[in-house]
Amino acid sequence: MLSRVAASFYWLSRYIERSDGMLRMLKINYASSQDAVQEFTWEPVIRIYAGLDEEDEGHAPLDTDSRAVLKFMVTGKANANSVLNIITLARENARGVQEHITKDLWQCLNEYYHTIKDPKIEKALQREDPIGVLDILIKQVMLYYGTVEITMERGEGRSFMNIGKYLERAIQSVDLLDTKFGSIDDNPDLLTDTTYWKHLLLSLGGYELYLKTYREGFEAENVLEQVALNNDFPRSVIYSVNNIQRYFERLKNESNINDFRELSFRIGRLQSRIKYSSVKSIREEGLHTFLTQIRSELYGIANRLNEYYFAHS
Amino acid sequence: MQESAYFNEYSPINGVWDEMYGQNAEVREHYRKVIEYISKESADDLNKKEELAKRLFMSQGITFTVYNSGEGIEKIFPFDIIPRIITAPEWAFVEKGIKQRLTALNLFLKDVYNNQFIVKDGIVPIDIIYSCPHFLREMYKLQVPYDIYIHISGIDLIRDHDGTFYVLEDNLRTPSGVSYMLENREITKRLFPDLLPQCGVRSVTEYPTILYKNLLAISPRQISNPTIVLLSPGIYNSAYFEHTTLARLMGVELVEGRDLVVNNHKVYMKTTTGLQQVDVIYRRVDDDYLDPLVFNPGSMLGVAGIMGAYRKGNVAIVNAIGNGVADDKAVYTYVPDMIRYYLNEEPILKNVPTFQLGNADEREHVFKSMDTMVVKKTNGSGGYGMLMGHAATEQEIDEYKLEILKDPRNFIAQPTISLSAAPCYMQGSLQPRRIDLRPYALYGPDGIEIVPGGLTRVALKEGSLVVNSSQGGGSKDTWVLA
Repeated sequence: MLSRVAASFYWLSRYIERSDGMLRMLKINYASSQDAVQEFTWEPVIRIYAGLDEEDEGHAPLDTDSRAVLKFMVTGKANANSVLNIITLARENARGVQEHITKDLWQCLNEYYHTIKDPKIEKALQREDPIGVLDILIKQVMLYYGTVEITMERGEGRSFMNIGKYLERAIQSVDLLDTKFGSIDDNPDLLTDTTYWKHLLLSLGGYELYLKTYREGFEAENVLEQVALNNDFPRSVIYSVNNIQRYFERLKNESNINDFRELSFRIGRLQSRIKYSSVKSIREEGLHTFLTQIRSELYGIANRLNEYYFAHS
Repeated sequence: MQESAYFNEYSPINGVWDEMYGQNAEVREHYRKVIEYISKESADDLNKKEELAKRLFMSQGITFTVYNSGEGIEKIFPFDIIPRIITAPEWAFVEKGIKQRLTALNLFLKDVYNNQFIVKDGIVPIDIIYSCPHFLREMYKLQVPYDIYIHISGIDLIRDHDGTFYVLEDNLRTPSGVSYMLENREITKRLFPDLLPQCGVRSVTEYPTILYKNLLAISPRQISNPTIVLLSPGIYNSAYFEHTTLARLMGVELVEGRDLVVNNHKVYMKTTTGLQQVDVIYRRVDDDYLDPLVFNPGSMLGVAGIMGAYRKGNVAIVNAIGNGVADDKAVYTYVPDMIRYYLNEEPILKNVPTFQLGNADEREHVFKSMDTMVVKKTNGSGGYGMLMGHAATEQEIDEYKLEILKDPRNFIAQPTISLSAAPCYMQGSLQPRRIDLRPYALYGPDGIEIVPGGLTRVALKEGSLVVNSSQGGGSKDTWVLA
């Protein structure tokens, strides 16, 4: 497979996964803003998904204005990380590998793109029920995943797609944990705020699983355990890393065996690092330190992929 | 026979050959079945068919992108639902004429890049060749597989008022539009079910198979499974859809310049499992951009060193580099002489009479009668930079004359030929619109093969004679009857 084609598969998949995470996060945050008695802040969402640091002044006035944030994050043209812009990028990647993806998948992506480009979406986001609008878009992502599942061949391309998808998901979950637990340092009351944890779980689609697993109500440490260490939770860090490992192993090939071994070693090391951690051990070393290390390992894997497989040196 | 309402309302253009409307105000025999078929459909039904065609093009992404104020707008190439029909004898004539012309043009390219006998024998003047920007010294004495230069060509034909075919221009570099020949046929199958077999229309689906066979045959390495790639400028190119279609239909890899690298005079593509040698490149990148080391140094679309690999014979490139000297509009005048010189035959297809503005006498003649002339740049394409004398204002003509005088070699003039007309479906009725014809010829070691069909371009604006898509042109499905 051409390196460029592999890279396009990988990025196509990362962008779609990111759009999915964003849309779900925006939907739950909007719902939660309707519950908020005091002023609701969108600052964490913007920080995670718009790639803005605290030094960036650009987003400051948006913080508390839900409709403005939604516009900025979903259809904002100036925001390089808006859903609109990342879907455009996803589609461009797909366009470059059109003869490698199925016609169904191409049409599905085309439709997602045309849906979000539709001026009606932007208008509805401002005037009508935003949850309904976000649901329309979330449905497009689900169609995408279904189409991939049913029509795409199980070859090298699919492996690169899955590696991209789970790498993106792992990074998102790590960022979310880091941001949400980081906020507690500024505001210790959140630690016992059940709606705070409930919304976090809802935005990851992990609320039902939590209720079934833990009977004693919302505890920060239980949330951490589920999102970082639960093997069965599809958005947990460990689940994502397990899948990176699983699909990477399929790329084994004699012609570049040394590169493969080195990257395989890195992925295995990261996998063990998470697997043999517990809530207790994480507490001892400090959550932020733990998450920072995981994140840098994930970035390291992404960089090696670039170098060894996508021919970007 | 009773003629349909659509036909009765049809008024052909005076003094123009009409493909459907015969001299005795009746439907020509070969159009009869189509007219019968559509006369059973109401205007509503036909409008629906037109809508369906648009939807099919859009949902399959058969679009080109127009970049406007930073935002890409996707457009479809307008399609007229009424097919253009060519009879078997007409096609046999065209086929024979194109084969003859291509054989001569290919011999000309071989000659002009080797011994230049045609110049030494005084048939083509040397200054015409050396002043052509597409004549590339880099090709001198470079041996190409089987001496084939013009693997793929799309010669544009038009018909005069009495139905005679003329060659308007020879496209021998990277002719485009063949995907529309294939897609238009697919759309027609959906629009007019069962009509194609009833009329005995010959199939065009062989095109990718023949092309693939020819690409395979010219691989420099004699191995069972050579690597063939289609080199595209990338997703922002307006013909990108065509590149993906052809790659998909032939099952070859679609690559961009950045996917290829040259090492030790061999071309490789970068894959996830290392470098893989490339044997045959069907390139859709112009000569100028192909190799930054030899041609345009700023090009990001090409591959550094590819010309060296080509010269060494380690890679075959389709079409050959430097073909532009043979489809130059000033060289065009000499094609009938080439046919006589190389083949000792009389040309079957006529040239449109052409005046060289580099020649003072001819220039004077043209300047006196600008209003009956079409003036073109010798290396232009796509209908840009043309002057249609009959439609231009006096001021436009004067400005254009000044432009010509700056570099007369760059211009030619032809008397306005009235293109033939064919019926088009326009808001509920049939109306005549001007058309041309571009059949696609494939030249391989086994000879020249022409798929029975081609691209019929149509000037959708009433009265317009310009069929180029950039100037408001569309296309039709082109039927060749068995």
